[in-house]
Amino acid sequence: MLEPLIANNVVCHAVEAMVFASIACSILGVVISRMNLASIGFTMSHAAFAGASIGMFLEMNAQMAAIAFSVGVAALIGPISDKAKMAADATLGVLFALCMAVAIFLISYMQYLGKGLSASSLLFGDVISLYREEIYALAAVSLLTIIFVLLFYKEICAIMFNMKIAQASGMRVQVVYYILLFIIALSVALCLNIVGGLLIFVWLVTPASIASQFCFDVKSMFIAAPLVALLVSAFGVWAGFEYTLPIAPLVALLLTGTFGLAVMLSTKRKVTTRRH
Amino acid sequence: MLWELSIIELEGIYTAYEGDDKPIIKDLTLNIDRGEYVVIGGPNSAGKTTLLESINGLVKITHGRAAVCGFDVRRSGHDVRKKVGYVVQNFYFDPFTPFNTQQVVMMGRYGRLGLLKRPIEEDYKAAERAIRMVGIEDLAQKTIGTLSGGQQQKVMIAHNLAKEPEVLLLDEPFSNLDFSAREFLQAILLDLVKGGTPIVIVSHAFDGLPDIRIHLVVMNEGRITKDICCPARAVEDIVRKSSLRQ
Ligand SMILES: Nc1ncnc2c1ncn2[C@@H]1O[C@H](COP(=O)(O)OP(=O)(O)O)[C@@H](O)[C@H]1O
Ligand SMILES: [Mg+2]
Repeated sequence: MLEPLIANNVVCHAVEAMVFASIACSILGVVISRMNLASIGFTMSHAAFAGASIGMFLEMNAQMAAIAFSVGVAALIGPISDKAKMAADATLGVLFALCMAVAIFLISYMQYLGKGLSASSLLFGDVISLYREEIYALAAVSLLTIIFVLLFYKEICAIMFNMKIAQASGMRVQVVYYILLFIIALSVALCLNIVGGLLIFVWLVTPASIASQFCFDVKSMFIAAPLVALLVSAFGVWAGFEYTLPIAPLVALLLTGTFGLAVMLSTKRKVTTRRH
Repeated sequence: MLWELSIIELEGIYTAYEGDDKPIIKDLTLNIDRGEYVVIGGPNSAGKTTLLESINGLVKITHGRAAVCGFDVRRSGHDVRKKVGYVVQNFYFDPFTPFNTQQVVMMGRYGRLGLLKRPIEEDYKAAERAIRMVGIEDLAQKTIGTLSGGQQQKVMIAHNLAKEPEVLLLDEPFSNLDFSAREFLQAILLDLVKGGTPIVIVSHAFDGLPDIRIHLVVMNEGRITKDICCPARAVEDIVRKSSLRQ
């Protein structure tokens, strides 16, 4: 899509992939971080990881398996919390442990069989060897995320404010909540081999945290978070190619650095110190 | 015709929390009509909050018949909640909650609007009216999490007034309010009752009740132990006596 702008095809695809991944994850991050559900992102990424290893073990499409498995785990979160009478966080912990166990079991077993599975792209990400289809899928999922937020903006705000009060007002928050979980699962699974299972957390949490340093309301956070993520990741990909550095970890470091800078420059901090 | 029916009709209901077998509310029957001022009293953990949440369907009714505002609560919980205001008992909004008073009051309209609908002129007007009624115009642009407990309580009341409910449930709404704020809120509630909107209030503070007939319901261990109409000044005595007997 950016071919006219960037001559090198590999660089071009890498920029596109990273930018779309950033948009989807950072928008979802704004919702996730407000709902005290940071562990959702964590669990989903490991579910995708487990799914991918199942796919490799069965010699299927790893990406499809990752999507199927993380969507499946997403669908379990609500019912398990209800039936087992646990906090959503504890449920996520249990599911997270399950996913890790499945993934490690299969990876170890395949090594034992001599199948030699390379898990490194799943763990650390790889923006060099991407298929065109993957980039289209990422573009589609970031578009889907944007449409989701635009369509259900009022429900999302209410959920971010207080789930109980949103339910009491007669909104169909459960439906929106399940769609949200589904989109998170989808995005995380698609981003898995771009940013890596270990780093995806940075994309989900850090841009939203950066935005929250400057923004006082939700609307501006939904704009600022993806904007920051987009700029930083595009710059990171360029710098990674220019200086031959590993790209996903570099972008993760840059995002975290930006967060540090944001905390220092935070307008909120200035406002509060002035008030006292 | 609807006017002749009770707005809340509970008949032999049992309610249990998700995942629990043991019911909290047991075989409870209660009728509430338009224009009634209902006070629910009783000791801690009697099931007062659970009763309110059974009325609007937030807690699952496992047995019995429940009709509220003409809807079957067990089947059409959403429709009930669109028409029933509910000021929850314990809420806490952290200082970083990214919504201001005006936005929170506006959210009271969201349920009525339904999925995919945007607020229109009428909704903004209703929110504005609610803010004026509760007298929190000066807080409209303040972040909700930075307000005091009493101010947040007022915002939540305005949130429910903006909804223009057919019934208003309030769970210990006075706990954070000072004397003058209580009087102010009681006056608002009295206006609602006079306009025909019944209110159901869980409270331990009986001194500021308006001087009208009160429908008093006393609960204990998930059952109603007293269900009478009495003058406001008799409420405190009756609640105390029926609590002593247990
Ligand atoms: N979410 C819940 N899950 C399970 N049990 C609950 C829940 N909330 C309340 N209960 C139980 O229901 C009973 C009644 O509680 P509640 O309705 O809050 O009493 P009240 O409002 O009269 O103080 C208590 O025994 C309490 O332990
Ligand atoms: Mg209570």
